[in-house]
Amino acid sequence: MVLLMVMLSGMAFAQQKTITGKVTDETGAPVPGTTIIVKGTTTGIVTDMDGNYSLSVPATAKTLVFSFVGMTSQEVIVGTQTNISVKMLSESIGLEEVVAIGYGVQKKKLNTGATVQVSGDNLQKMSTTNALSALQSQSPGVEITQSSGQPGEGFKVTIRGLGTVGSSAPLYVIDGVAGGDINAFNTSDIESVDVLKDAASAAIYGARAANGVVLVTTKKGKAGKLQLSYDGYYGVQYAAKMPAMLNAKEYMSMMDETRFNEANPTYDWANLLPTSLYNSVMDGSWQGTNWMKESYNEAAPTQNQAFNLAGGNDQSKFALGFSYTSQEGILGKPVQSQYDRYTARINSDHVILKTKDFDVIKIGQTLNYNYNTKSGIAIGNIYGNSIHNLLTGNPLLPAYDADGNFYDYNDKVANGWNFDGNTGNPLAGTALSNWGLNLSKNYALQTSAYLEIQPIKNLVFRSQFGYKMTASTYRSYDGIRHLSNNTNVTLDNVSQSASSGHNTTFDNTLSYKFKVADQHQFDVLVGQSIEKWGMGSNISASGNNSMFPGLFDYAWVDNTKPTVLSQRGAGGSPWGSGALASFFGRANYNFKETYLASFTMRADGSSNFAKGKRWGYFPSMSAGWVMTNESFMESTKSFLDFMKLRASWGQNGNAAINNFQYLSTIAFDTSNGYYFSADKLTQTVGGYADILANPDVKWETSEQLDLGFDSRFLNSRLGLTFDWYTKTTKNWLVTAPIPAVWGLNAPSVNGGDIQNKGFEIALNWNDRAGDFQYGGSVNMAHNVNEVTRIANAEGIIHGDGNVLSQGTTEMYRAQVGFPIGYFYGYKTAGVFQNLDQVNNTAAKYAGAQPGDLIFVDTDGDGKITEDDRTMIGNPHPDFTLGLNLNLSYKGFDLNIAGTGAFGQQIAKSYRSFADSPLQNYTTEIFGRWTGEGTSNKLPRLTSGSNVNWQNISDIYIEDGDYVKIQNITLGYDFKKLFKNMPLSQARFFVTGQNLFTITGYSGMDPEIGYGYDKSWVSGIDLGYYPSPRTYMVGVNLKF
Amino acid sequence: MKKILYIAATALLFMSCENYLDTESYTKKNTGNYPQSADDAIQMVTGVYATLNKPIANCANTYYFASELASDDRFGGGGENDKDFQVLDHLLYTNLDRFKTFWSDRYSGISRANMAIANLDKVADETLRNQLKGETLFLRAFFYNELVEMFGNVPLITKVPSTVSEAQLYPKQASAEEVYGFIAAGLKEAISIMPAKKWNETVSGNGHVTKWAAEALLARVFLFYTGFYQKDALPLMDADGKITGSLTKAEVITGLEDCIANSGNSLVTDYRSLWPYTNTLSKKNYPYAKNAPAWIKDGTNPETVFSIKFSHLASWSTTTGYSNQYMLFFAIRGSGSANQYKNLYPFGQGWGAGPVSPKLWNEWKTAEPLDPRRDASILDGSKTNDYTYGADKQMEESGYYSKKVIATTGAKTYNTDGTMNALFNSFTSSTEYYGDGAADDFQLAHEVDLNVIRFSDVLLMQSELTGNADNMNKVRTRAGLPTVSYSATALRNERRWELAFEGTRWSDIRRWGIAKEALSNQVGADIWNRGVATTMKNQGAGYGARYDATKGFMPIPQSEIDLSSGVLTQNPGWDASALFVSWNE
Repeated sequence: MVLLMVMLSGMAFAQQKTITGKVTDETGAPVPGTTIIVKGTTTGIVTDMDGNYSLSVPATAKTLVFSFVGMTSQEVIVGTQTNISVKMLSESIGLEEVVAIGYGVQKKKLNTGATVQVSGDNLQKMSTTNALSALQSQSPGVEITQSSGQPGEGFKVTIRGLGTVGSSAPLYVIDGVAGGDINAFNTSDIESVDVLKDAASAAIYGARAANGVVLVTTKKGKAGKLQLSYDGYYGVQYAAKMPAMLNAKEYMSMMDETRFNEANPTYDWANLLPTSLYNSVMDGSWQGTNWMKESYNEAAPTQNQAFNLAGGNDQSKFALGFSYTSQEGILGKPVQSQYDRYTARINSDHVILKTKDFDVIKIGQTLNYNYNTKSGIAIGNIYGNSIHNLLTGNPLLPAYDADGNFYDYNDKVANGWNFDGNTGNPLAGTALSNWGLNLSKNYALQTSAYLEIQPIKNLVFRSQFGYKMTASTYRSYDGIRHLSNNTNVTLDNVSQSASSGHNTTFDNTLSYKFKVADQHQFDVLVGQSIEKWGMGSNISASGNNSMFPGLFDYAWVDNTKPTVLSQRGAGGSPWGSGALASFFGRANYNFKETYLASFTMRADGSSNFAKGKRWGYFPSMSAGWVMTNESFMESTKSFLDFMKLRASWGQNGNAAINNFQYLSTIAFDTSNGYYFSADKLTQTVGGYADILANPDVKWETSEQLDLGFDSRFLNSRLGLTFDWYTKTTKNWLVTAPIPAVWGLNAPSVNGGDIQNKGFEIALNWNDRAGDFQYGGSVNMAHNVNEVTRIANAEGIIHGDGNVLSQGTTEMYRAQVGFPIGYFYGYKTAGVFQNLDQVNNTAAKYAGAQPGDLIFVDTDGDGKITEDDRTMIGNPHPDFTLGLNLNLSYKGFDLNIAGTGAFGQQIAKSYRSFADSPLQNYTTEIFGRWTGEGTSNKLPRLTSGSNVNWQNISDIYIEDGDYVKIQNITLGYDFKKLFKNMPLSQARFFVTGQNLFTITGYSGMDPEIGYGYDKSWVSGIDLGYYPSPRTYMVGVNLKF
Repeated sequence: MKKILYIAATALLFMSCENYLDTESYTKKNTGNYPQSADDAIQMVTGVYATLNKPIANCANTYYFASELASDDRFGGGGENDKDFQVLDHLLYTNLDRFKTFWSDRYSGISRANMAIANLDKVADETLRNQLKGETLFLRAFFYNELVEMFGNVPLITKVPSTVSEAQLYPKQASAEEVYGFIAAGLKEAISIMPAKKWNETVSGNGHVTKWAAEALLARVFLFYTGFYQKDALPLMDADGKITGSLTKAEVITGLEDCIANSGNSLVTDYRSLWPYTNTLSKKNYPYAKNAPAWIKDGTNPETVFSIKFSHLASWSTTTGYSNQYMLFFAIRGSGSANQYKNLYPFGQGWGAGPVSPKLWNEWKTAEPLDPRRDASILDGSKTNDYTYGADKQMEESGYYSKKVIATTGAKTYNTDGTMNALFNSFTSSTEYYGDGAADDFQLAHEVDLNVIRFSDVLLMQSELTGNADNMNKVRTRAGLPTVSYSATALRNERRWELAFEGTRWSDIRRWGIAKEALSNQVGADIWNRGVATTMKNQGAGYGARYDATKGFMPIPQSEIDLSSGVLTQNPGWDASALFVSWNE
């Protein structure tokens, strides 16, 4: 340091000149803190608060280099100029930008792993409620699928293929604190999202990184002018596609055809239906009830308001954010799907002590608070799905009676309804029950504080304490209703529950950046982390017999008036708690920024395992070579600006199993007692060993090899990134079925392996021609998933039956040699067209006749048996696609984003074909077989017990390939027009979301994350809440 | 600076502490700390009892349900989609895995019993310990008996597995001799150690298994084994798992006579008061039962030797099996007509499983024309107002219903003219019984206990084993019938009438060797399918051929066979040729 000062003072005697100027960004705002260096020297300065600088340079200085994090560095020839003002351009995919790597940042060009960074601006411009849906088109290799289109529902995020039947969600690290919730943020809160895809990048979070890591950095204050911004939008939502249901007459004819096909007399509708209703159907004055339309909440509003304030000086910086978001659902009338979210964020950083060129002591904090309320309709399996019930609802049943009340059982009796006694009004089924009458409120606080000490330059000790609190309350009301013979609720029920929990983390790291012999650069880090979670409790209560029947707002347990003790219930339990202790280290090395290497080692101890099995060790290494720095690459310099080859290998862990699997636990639940006494009310508690202990259970390990390159061509206008990977999850934590004769539930064992292989390509182009700037990116990912071991003799984890309809068998499974969660059933080869064809087919069911499906005898034994079932579909896409296009001209900007997925299948059933013959159909049933040559796809109509419909076969499976244009936004910044307005930005925009979907899929929405009750299955459509088509207007104001 | 480093160093040291990672479950105990006391032991035994109810959540796949439908006295029935009911009658299958829940639940009871027996020495009170151990031995024997009668050669698990790798392997099937040897040894031990307290003075509390129940079950096991396998004694397994002894007919008879003389169990006066339709609420509006003595409430009936108990607190979430789902399944399918269940009063709504064979109705009339038990046991639907066939696509409908185990309604409200207005789906929901008069789920509100062994069965078994008609005549006398002298035919008929629909007929016809003829006898009976009159027909290979092929054993759950990788073998007769696709008119 002293030496440097001597040098600087020595220079003062040389011939000098002073250059001044101002550095601004694209919007004209000053960029304080820009470094300006005389190229080839150490002479330099940074800009002040207003972006101004004044630098004394030797007269011989030829070039100034302007650089700022996140902006493209610029070199300006000095010549004779004394005033050099520069407009810095943000570096969309620049190599100088830094990326978050876990416990630190690294220059992107030096990074040797496979990571994706998406800036907060790019998320925000999608105007989505949720950050994950904005990420969809921008992160190759990260498959993000909505688990439902209902407002406030979550997303399934799978990084590089599903690696487990257990918890497959990636680890979210929010501002350095592991285990947060990305859904708690407004997109305007987010500075950037970094996804660590390969094992080496994620390895620093070893223990929980097996499914990848998502680092979320919230916006921090910057020194300089106070920045206030407001972002808002308002939109209306429509259904992109509604299914075409049969009307009353069509329904009647299908019912009669079914009867006819089974040699039964057709229905005597005139006597079965109320006379006036029958007449109105017959004379065409009434088409019947379209339940989906009745429930459609057309032009459902959605809005977002976000305020951000940031500022500070070189000692203290802060950023505040407040937002409100609300979204109404497009289905569910007369009750509402509704999601409301409020967020607040306060981040600050303070320098306590600093020397001339570095901060010695820094402290800071982050605080993110999120409150949201959600009420919705049932979106579960066939026994709990409001939409399924709308789709299956009988079109002959009126929705409302003459008084405007729900048409119910009493109306049926009064009007003389003698048809299906079990059919009930599906609108009322949701609107009067806890399917529609429910409200959850969720509170989450994610906060952290840090202390950073830098005793000598580049040696940083950082200590961070994180605290998270989550709490929620839930209330529902199940009202009195008599809708049909078997839906007769005479006693209403109010249910309330509340839970709260805490989580603490404490991380300490020590890092040191240093150079050896000037060209060997090291960046080393050692650290330690402890975390405790689940310190919380749940309580619940319920009561029957409300004093305010039918009124949800009055549905509180206190307002119930139980007549006997059993009409009040209460429960309470602790959260399963656990702890994780970790030690880790990382060394990043580069030689001349050309030869790059990185090593990581993490040791984790988890409370989920028995003593002696607790610790897992997760190493990783990676290397890179920036070819373009080599002299032999000079010849390609003209078109190839940058080429970095990368290779990485590492192991990550997953310990996400229930606690106490290593102990044989004794449970005492109420479903395992016995009623010895004569009163039938007194239970004697029973105790039983519920699982077979597995003291050997240990870490699941995911091992991944990644090869790739980052490159830039044609003056960095074209960027290409490629990655190939193979990821093997070993010792899968799985509950593989054990023989039932042992009478115990199977323990978690390290009992499976799964392999994901694939590649990712990201291509982008950015250029400008005068005022016209344009850019685009295409990314594509390919993944192949295969289960390679399951630790039981059979090698299968079975799925559920009764998924598409009651009375159907297992329809998905995990099995060695197949992709996880593949669809399992019969293949068909069309429909028997005539008797000759039946007679000439050896393998068929007894009694097969024309119009029946031709099941394929896959095992060739000449018979159709259960053994003929095989893979009939795969819910995982082979390819996923992301598209972005952006253009700007003067004040105008246009952005288009799209996503796509290819090669996956969807299992769809909008009715319970196998067991409920009287449910309504969609008009697809017009494609059934009615005689020779009419159809080779759908069989003749039968009542459902027929194998045609009862067998799970490929007639329920459709290709789900799709391309969705997610977002088209056109904006104009009025600042360009009115230069004197006191705003630095005044952008207005219009956006259309989900405007087009190109798909062959016949359902409402091909993007289906729903997978019955299993996290490892998706693509099951039983009446999936579709994502809306939204038209919105919005504004971005910056002061 | 030093101070900060010091803090950091301390933090690092703190982390290395393993104790940080220790956690404790506060909702469960574990085998390290349980059982420690007599209360713990009672809880463990209660956990075994709980598995009596478990499979009833899937009641169509249980021993009792299968026995009823497979027997000659009942058809499959249900709606046209309830092929799972129909296949039981015809000994065919739609799904080879259907008995998985039953198999698992029974073995889970066995596993819990094994663990309890290994830990009961922690009970200090000797009398209580012997009683509890006897109960557990009884239950384990009861579970094995259902398994071995249904599935033949089943794996014999006598202790809890010690390691995970042991449990990943499938144990071999034991021979019938071994399984029966184990059952007999367990019951023999139970009988020898259990205190000889009267049925309503049990030391562990009323409602628990008694020594007398063990004696009765032993006789039932003996009769089946010796009859079906053509043996004259039961094998006895020793502590090493070897068959080294046998248990003679004389010992079994001694046990029955001990039970008859000392249990305190007895026949109730009026046969009708055994069945819930005589409950005080329902009988008010049921002319047939109006003058009968009232139903004897569960837990107070001296004729009950062993029953599976049900509760008022069943719920859909986990405890469906606490409700008597048989009453729902055997009840009458709804057509939607508002008065249907008033016309059928007091018999309620359900799934229409197990229509009673008209042959039983007719043969009973011919053989015992004066027997009042026929009307006490069977409802002739065709005699009720506006009876319509084909409600909700009922299959194999005969119009006859068992009145014993069936949803039993009661008047809830009355019209001003005194006629019934609304009905309880189950009379037990009324305040006259266990309910609050409001909650009354038609699927769950059934809570009458299921008789497994009645005292009249004990009397009949004694007559059958000794060839002495005295006890059989006590049963006849109670029914108001004249005495008869002993003959095999008389005894067999008596069992068929007295114990109709109580789950014994199927094993009786199997052990008497008359199953093939009895089953074939169903062909030609008048039935209605979806309201269309027809006659019962052979399905698949036909009743006789199917019995020959299977000997009445049901298919072992296919998923267990798959999981065993060839260790388990499927019972004969359950190949693809037995697949039932649809009813062959």
